[in-house]
Amino acid sequence: MAERATPNSKTVDAPPRSCGDAGIPPRLTAAPIDVEQLRCQVGSELAGAVVVFVGTTRSKTGDQITERLEYEAHGPMATASLTLLQEEAVRRFSLQGCGIVHRLGVVEVGQASVAIAVSSPHRRDAFAATAWLMDRIKSSVPIWKREHAVDGSRRWVHGEERPGP
Amino acid sequence: MNNRQLAVMLFAGLAELVGHREVSLDWQGGTAADLRSALQNKYPAAASLLARSAVAVGERYCRDQDQVAVGDDVAMLPPVSGG
Repeated sequence: MAERATPNSKTVDAPPRSCGDAGIPPRLTAAPIDVEQLRCQVGSELAGAVVVFVGTTRSKTGDQITERLEYEAHGPMATASLTLLQEEAVRRFSLQGCGIVHRLGVVEVGQASVAIAVSSPHRRDAFAATAWLMDRIKSSVPIWKREHAVDGSRRWVHGEERPGP
Repeated sequence: MNNRQLAVMLFAGLAELVGHREVSLDWQGGTAADLRSALQNKYPAAASLLARSAVAVGERYCRDQDQVAVGDDVAMLPPVSGG
């Protein structure tokens, strides 16, 4: 894909790099998310703000009591899609750094299922970028969750909207 | 002929309803919308979820009018729920 011809896309599976490196590829991982490491990675001397969003597994949706969530992805497409979103966010909100990590597999209640960290010279852009990225992730990145209820029932969560870019 | 078979990856609730993570269709060529209809005919129990599913080739979403060919890396993506 021509749009992916960037430094980021070549290193999608590279291990996390040292503190302060703005070019962090997005990651899908079965391991718990190290939020502090992500925050550290997007830090920059040019940034006056770092905003970190952590999405966590909620125990209650309506009347249903959730025991755990399980995530599945179209891996290559989800990684490519997150890379494009990250690049667009950096341009659109003039970010210094941006990192996204999403869990796959089972995520217990209270654990982080997704984390986003962005840094920018001013806080408004960092807040806006984080909200924009979460909205886009929820509408366009091919990742799905399955709710496991305490009564043993399991249900894939699908909304009404057909996904798109 | 085997070379007219289109392999389609299925995910999440779609794989669950159809009972397979990948299915194979007789395919003479057609659009993404044609593919959705063909799958609805073959798997009526999943017709409603298929109607809300997107077709992807490789790492990109298709528009309904985009052509899908045998050998393409095709996936049906039901409404996403990451985050």
